[in-house]
Amino acid sequence: MRMDDPQRGSLLCVEQLIARQLPHGGWPFYSSAAQAAVEPTALTLLALPSTLIRERARAIGFLLQIQNPNGSWPAFFGDDPEGSGFTGLVVYALNRSGAKGTATDRAIPWLLQSRGWESHWLWKWKFRTTDRHVRLDPDKFGWPWTPETASWVVPTSYSLLALKDGIASSRPGLLQFRIRCGVEMLHDRICPQAGWNAGNGLVYGTGLAPHPDATSIALLALRETPFNDFVTPSLDWLEQRSQFCCAPWSLAWAILALTAFRRATKTLISRLESVVNTNAIADCASLAVAALALNSANGANPFGANS
Amino acid sequence: MKPDRRTFLAASLGLAAGAAATALLAHPKYHINRILPRSRVAILTADSYSEDLAQILWHGLDLFHLDVRGKSVLIKPNLVDYIPGNHINTHPLLVSAATECFRRLGAKTVLVGEGPGHQRDTELVLIESGFAEQLQRQMISFVDLNRDELVERPLLASYAGLKSLWLPRTILESDFVVSMPKVKAHHWSGVTLSMKNMFGVVPGAKYGWPKNILHWKGIQESILDICATVPVHFVIADAIMAMEGNGPLNGSARRLDRIVLADDAVAADATCARLMGFDPDKIVHIRAGAQFLGNSSVMRIDQLGEVVCFPEIPFQTVPEFEYLRLNRDLEHHT
Repeated sequence: MRMDDPQRGSLLCVEQLIARQLPHGGWPFYSSAAQAAVEPTALTLLALPSTLIRERARAIGFLLQIQNPNGSWPAFFGDDPEGSGFTGLVVYALNRSGAKGTATDRAIPWLLQSRGWESHWLWKWKFRTTDRHVRLDPDKFGWPWTPETASWVVPTSYSLLALKDGIASSRPGLLQFRIRCGVEMLHDRICPQAGWNAGNGLVYGTGLAPHPDATSIALLALRETPFNDFVTPSLDWLEQRSQFCCAPWSLAWAILALTAFRRATKTLISRLESVVNTNAIADCASLAVAALALNSANGANPFGANS
Repeated sequence: MKPDRRTFLAASLGLAAGAAATALLAHPKYHINRILPRSRVAILTADSYSEDLAQILWHGLDLFHLDVRGKSVLIKPNLVDYIPGNHINTHPLLVSAATECFRRLGAKTVLVGEGPGHQRDTELVLIESGFAEQLQRQMISFVDLNRDELVERPLLASYAGLKSLWLPRTILESDFVVSMPKVKAHHWSGVTLSMKNMFGVVPGAKYGWPKNILHWKGIQESILDICATVPVHFVIADAIMAMEGNGPLNGSARRLDRIVLADDAVAADATCARLMGFDPDKIVHIRAGAQFLGNSSVMRIDQLGEVVCFPEIPFQTVPEFEYLRLNRDLEHHT
């Protein structure tokens, strides 16, 4: 299906998403699945227009229902209750959807205490002495995908988006420390040619290639930090890389990041329009980000507006 | 001297404690035994990635008399990332050839499934590595195992200390799992072959990108736990263009011109290790896997195709794994 304008394309994606909403209000990754996952649900919540009151309420209700007792969110319905690296994204999506309240307040202490294991003294010692093949400064840590593992770029970026989104904490000093430390961690793990891979930029002396989606999400998380030597070359790299990217997930994230930094995205949006055949995107998370990216042509970018 | 009651009691307690400690240490870490009386491996020659692969593979598979009629077959290639010029992934033409062969053998369904470890955008890797075009041309369904529905399964081995893993429903419901690794040296595990390839079934949606919990719990240990829990029924290893040095991403291409088929993942990996000029007994997960998952000794492997040829120059590795290189004086023992 060839679409004529970005807004229409976005609405077609939204229509597909509405059709795939599960009875309990969440979305799965794959349209054929019945197991709701947190990432597609949070991204879809961000993509749903405010006029879709019923669908948004069901999505919010689902997210509130599956919050873990410790304040975090699981990765999917039925997951273990320890918490996942998607917690920051859920907090951000709920805040942006006007659902800031008890649930997000409960999540903040969890986000403030969740940290990559490289921050533990024992592992700091290991990374400084015996394990030198991965270039990282363990004093600069962020958030892990799962408890008891190291910090990675995407969960750190999702958490930063949440913590920087005008939230209040009873521990403002800790809040500022975690934001500063998370930003430093992203700076520390940047790839030699700019941009971000999943985590470290250098392993065994070899630079890793950046990934468009991780780079975009990291840039969005760094949006309100002062410009520096990391952001501009990463934007330049992303701009160049996107010129020959046809995968909806990466292309859509790149559009959102470049739009947020006021870079030109017209040709990318045109390509996304031609790439997005709404019947062929089985992954709801990709469909949701595509809807957001196409809608950003109208100046609506939930990752770009000032908090 | 007759021992008094106190001495007898102390000695008994000492013996009991010793026996308990011995029992604990001797307690096997695996709860299954899949070792076949004899394993079969076929080494086939293939000097390029071309449409001829289907024919070569068909003749190779014929040696095994596989019965997959009416079965759901899941092909698990090694699809990591796309870096132009680097031979990182199992070649799409080989995967396509395997699919064609299993269809010809009467499989009910043939799916290709993978969950890349670092790259979250699986579709990007599929498109840029040429997989998407090949899958579309052959009308092959692909499942992103990182984002599949998940089912929690207790692990059938306990090397890594994890009790269970959430695993993709697609792989658990498949009747016949084919591991299709790219033969590579690996900077964390020495080699990445058919057993290490099974890391890709661990879902990113639960464990992240990469599946970092497996690194913290021990890569070699996690390989064993995963392979104990998700049986590999057959192996088709892409050793036409392999990788040496700083694999799995940034090593150098190394031409072997071989495809390795096997009905036993341990036997396949031991054979591939020998083709790389490594001693399989020095690779932790192959050595431990030989206790309960399959055969690594040449004495228990029937070579159906060519014989194993040790390379004149073993594969390069990162310095930590140079000890894997086969001692040529001892070749006949392995």
